[in-house]
Amino acid sequence: MSLEELFKEIIIEHYQHPKNQGHIDHPDATSDGSNPLCGDEIAMELVFDGNRIKNVMFTGNGCSISQSAASLITEAIKGKTIEETRTIMDEYKGMLAGREYNAELLGDLEALSDVKKYPARVKCASLSVAVLDQALQQKK
Amino acid sequence: MDIERIRKDFPVLSRTVRDKRLVYLDNAATTQKPSVVIDAIADLYRRYNANVHRGVYLLAEESTQAYEDSREAVRRFINAAGTQEIVFTRNASEALNLIAYTWGEANIKAGDEIIVSIMEHHSNYVPWFRLAQRKGAVIKIVPSRKDGLLDMDAYRSMLSDKTKLVGIVHMSNVFGTINPVREIVSLAHRHGAVTVVDGAQSAPHMKVDVQDIGCDFFALSGHKMLGPTGIGALYAKKSHLESMEPFLSGGEMILRVTLDSVVYNELPWKFEAGTPNYEGAIGLKAAIEYLERTGMDAIESYERELTVYALEQMKTVPGIYIYGPLDAAHKGGIVAFNIKGVHSHDIGTILDSEGIAVRAGHHCAQPLMIDCGVSAMARASFYFYNTRQEIDLLVQALKKAKEIFGHVA
Repeated sequence: MSLEELFKEIIIEHYQHPKNQGHIDHPDATSDGSNPLCGDEIAMELVFDGNRIKNVMFTGNGCSISQSAASLITEAIKGKTIEETRTIMDEYKGMLAGREYNAELLGDLEALSDVKKYPARVKCASLSVAVLDQALQQKK
Repeated sequence: MDIERIRKDFPVLSRTVRDKRLVYLDNAATTQKPSVVIDAIADLYRRYNANVHRGVYLLAEESTQAYEDSREAVRRFINAAGTQEIVFTRNASEALNLIAYTWGEANIKAGDEIIVSIMEHHSNYVPWFRLAQRKGAVIKIVPSRKDGLLDMDAYRSMLSDKTKLVGIVHMSNVFGTINPVREIVSLAHRHGAVTVVDGAQSAPHMKVDVQDIGCDFFALSGHKMLGPTGIGALYAKKSHLESMEPFLSGGEMILRVTLDSVVYNELPWKFEAGTPNYEGAIGLKAAIEYLERTGMDAIESYERELTVYALEQMKTVPGIYIYGPLDAAHKGGIVAFNIKGVHSHDIGTILDSEGIAVRAGHHCAQPLMIDCGVSAMARASFYFYNTRQEIDLLVQALKKAKEIFGHVA
């Protein structure tokens, strides 16, 4: 197990220069969550266009894994339909649980695959999908 | 002190972690156990296990004797006046809760003031916070100064005849600050306030004399001083214990029960309902004896040298910020820090890959985190089995962490 596997360049890049960070003026759904043990925080704001995620932004505070995951996942789902988003989220959760996954579908999110080797850090990588899941439940 | 010989007494210290030799620097969370502690517990179960204070047979006499011998060891270790003043609890948290739910419940009224410091562990804040909520009492917080020491001027100005209780951590589990508890207690007593000292971090690392401190209550935790988990102790002045209602009820804490009356047991058993953790107490006794053989003064001075060295070396890590006193004269072997651009969880993971165990997070002291303007810190905490060489490994690994994350503005 090497650190380079976990802290890949792309993860550090998204940690230091996150995509989709900030607020949306009139979001259709908002949600936030934290890991009480370590203090990672993520909040998400979404705008829908019919069945599609038109825009998504996040704010947060925490370690490189939790914050880069938020950046990468918002990139992955922007413009996707709810169903496509759900599939990406399931594949991503499966990857973190150590199951086989569709690498093509996950794209850059695959950079977080080695988090599964660090059980204490899986929660950091999972926070964004938990917050996103709550936000999607607000979409009737 | 012969550290190499001491290290051989701790089996876990010779294991490897991720192909590196374990460097255990999370002693403020829990300490490792010497063979004598592990063996004492195994010996109980191999030779003389029987419930304490119940049986009339030989095994029960032996286990009861061992359990009560442990109480005497705790008494001697903190120099209490008598074993009646030592109540076994699960940990320091339970000891502090016991005070809040018995003494606090009976004595705190609406408008009374409770003073605690910003450095408190949640275990010496939340019980008082909840007590104040139940009673309509007021909590006052003594701040820390820029140099990481307690603001004694602020403390003095908060004291009044409304002050009913002062709760103070002896050694901060984040800053490592050693608070002047003797002075704090004496000032509180001048206003008739009762004093509670949280000794979870101090008792393992320095000589404690509760009669010299003069406090009314003192809490300690066994697993932070080489003992097993699940055993702690409350010291309380006999006069308080006599007037206090029991905390938990059931077996052991009674002398006589009829369907319409209960006579409580004598001190200290009045506060020990149910089968106690005698396994834990027996392990704790072995731990105390080990500490006494090593010598608390020797432990304190060795750890101070180690802390001086750690502070010196850690300062050389680019972008590091160390919280709390930078003068080892005022602190124990606890160094909390952050590195610019590297979150403390990432520091924790990078150190783990080098076999180095440190704590990252809020350290059960969120008010202090907020006060410092951060949500998390990394923390290295030492015990007398740690070495300068281990601190060198820590510093190397911290520099590596900084490299991995590059130079961030």
